[in-house]
Amino acid sequence: MKLNDELTKLFGKQLEITEGVNNELYLAISENEVHSKIIRLYENNFELVVLFCAENFTAQVFTLFYAFEKAGFSEILVLQCPLEGKSASSMATIFPSACWYEREVTDGFGIEFSGSFDKRRLFLHETYPADFHPLLKSFKNGKIETRPATAEEYPFKIVEGEGVYQIPVGPVHAGIIEPGHFRFSVIGETIFNLEVRMFYKHRGLEKLAEGMTPMECVKIAETISGDETAANAVAFCRAVEKISGIKVPRRALQLRTVFLELERIYSYLGDLGGMIVDVAYPAGASPFLILREEIFRQNEALTGSRFMKGAVSVGGLSRDVPEQALRNLSTFLVAFSKHLGSAEGIDSTFFSLVDRFETTGKVKPEILIPLHVTGPVARASGKTTDTRIDHPYGLYREMNLKVRTLQNEDVLSRFSLKAEEILESIKIIQYMIGSLVSGEVAVTYQFKDGYALSLVESARGQNVHWVNVKNGLIDRYKVRTASFCNWQAIEHAVLGNIVPDFPLINKSMNLSYAGTDL
Amino acid sequence: MAKRLLSVFERKTTENFPFRDEEFEAVGINLKKEVDRVFGRSLAIRELDSGSDNSTEIELVNLTAPHYDVERFGITFVASPRHADVLIVTGAVTLNMATAAKKTYDAMPNPKFVVAVGDDACGFGILNGSYAVLGCADKLFDVDLKITGNPPSPKDILKGLLALTEKIKKQKIL
Repeated sequence: MKLNDELTKLFGKQLEITEGVNNELYLAISENEVHSKIIRLYENNFELVVLFCAENFTAQVFTLFYAFEKAGFSEILVLQCPLEGKSASSMATIFPSACWYEREVTDGFGIEFSGSFDKRRLFLHETYPADFHPLLKSFKNGKIETRPATAEEYPFKIVEGEGVYQIPVGPVHAGIIEPGHFRFSVIGETIFNLEVRMFYKHRGLEKLAEGMTPMECVKIAETISGDETAANAVAFCRAVEKISGIKVPRRALQLRTVFLELERIYSYLGDLGGMIVDVAYPAGASPFLILREEIFRQNEALTGSRFMKGAVSVGGLSRDVPEQALRNLSTFLVAFSKHLGSAEGIDSTFFSLVDRFETTGKVKPEILIPLHVTGPVARASGKTTDTRIDHPYGLYREMNLKVRTLQNEDVLSRFSLKAEEILESIKIIQYMIGSLVSGEVAVTYQFKDGYALSLVESARGQNVHWVNVKNGLIDRYKVRTASFCNWQAIEHAVLGNIVPDFPLINKSMNLSYAGTDL
Repeated sequence: MAKRLLSVFERKTTENFPFRDEEFEAVGINLKKEVDRVFGRSLAIRELDSGSDNSTEIELVNLTAPHYDVERFGITFVASPRHADVLIVTGAVTLNMATAAKKTYDAMPNPKFVVAVGDDACGFGILNGSYAVLGCADKLFDVDLKITGNPPSPKDILKGLLALTEKIKKQKIL
């Protein structure tokens, strides 16, 4: 069934639906019907994918976009709601995931949401002056006057009672880790409440993209999160290619798939090794870390960069890969599977390791849809979700992949799922190398104006990019990475666990700070 | 299971990995000599991410992984700035991190050195001109050495640390 029919069934016949270029349906609605429409969608198992704002998109100054997906439909529904003024009503009581998005829109554009339960600033910390909204077109990017960071204190949720105490952690952590603040409320050793405060690394990437040509902006996409370089570059390029009607050569699509899966493999290997390190068993972690380094070297041989930076460009690839490197990769992956299998086999039967992994950090099914938990974290809690399959892009639509799920919801479940998915990724790469066609890896093209939504399954889950090109330049670039959603899930996953298990749970969910903070 | 229990009695051997990189080993051995001389046998590094894209952190972590294993050369990444000789700064300094970054530096005992690692920290990144960043590491600290790259490879970082010890030796700071 088509999503269009489903919407007609829900909302009646007179719908103004515009088809987007990338399998998305835009439904224009007025401010006063948005609440009732979203409740209707909620009741019919739609899930909020992203909420964002753009300026000067319609005749009104601000337009809010609510993107939804529903299991079984490959199209994405985007509610497009022009605002009369600078206020809107909050949807956070229907979809709790809207909370962070709304705070983000308030920071970026100064739009107030009535009825929201959390009005604290999000990515603008105390050092930013009041009434500063960087995503407004009236603000020209550049240095701003800051105020002393001590001007006011961020109000964390206070948990009080006999024996309850707080543990503040971060932003600078013990180890080579990105910065973020965790505020634990603890009784004894058990975590009673966790509040995550992110955005210490906010670099203003969305604003920086504005005014760039699509070609220049690939660099911004790559810098969102270093270990999601290929995923974000492909997501951005796909959006631009759809807008301009560029047909990417098959060889480039095949090689992009190889890059995407290599990225997934090295990311997962880091998680598997990291989880084992976090239960103090470095000898068991070493095989994974050795394999991971080997993948970095394969990346370098293929693209000249260990993180595949600069490999993907609009219209295809920046350059072709050396034939020899591809052959070496194929041979390497045969031996790789064997090493991986034996390492995983040994570790997953190791008593003290299983003891720490099992029942730890459960991501409960009831938070999956409200918080839009995505990627391997969701799949390890039984949710059938994988953007490669739900909203296929590139060559995934011809691959007939199956979503893997596990039901145990805990760290062990995520460990096992990631190990299984690595083997699946190897198969995809081998298939691509085996069927690789010859020819060009890039086409020449003309940029057109327009807008498109692009979804990609990175190693961490669903990444969403929305690009609006005006007069050949980026007018608005909205990015929502998987980590943005999954960070909110960790606040629930740690409850009832002991504080020393937090690093383990964190590692098993593998969250990017840079990708959240932008 | 029986095999696993019996393996306790097996003779333990260290596996010989085939990934030895002669150039890296040579740099490492040189560095070890310098660390012995300049830093009294151990060089303690505190890593500070002030706004990177996380690839530089990954390469720093890789330095401690089996292929590189820099602890052999007297280098340790320490948890507290109070234990550190060198602060490695990655990424441009964001406004949101500026205070925490400064506090981290201030917590280090003297004498202390700052190394900027990666293009953003060195001032060659794409973030210049963003409202959200103060600028490169220079804006907040006296940077003793810059290691460029997006990100620099583990080998580049090790070579940079060798250059740092040589610079310190020349300036007779320690």
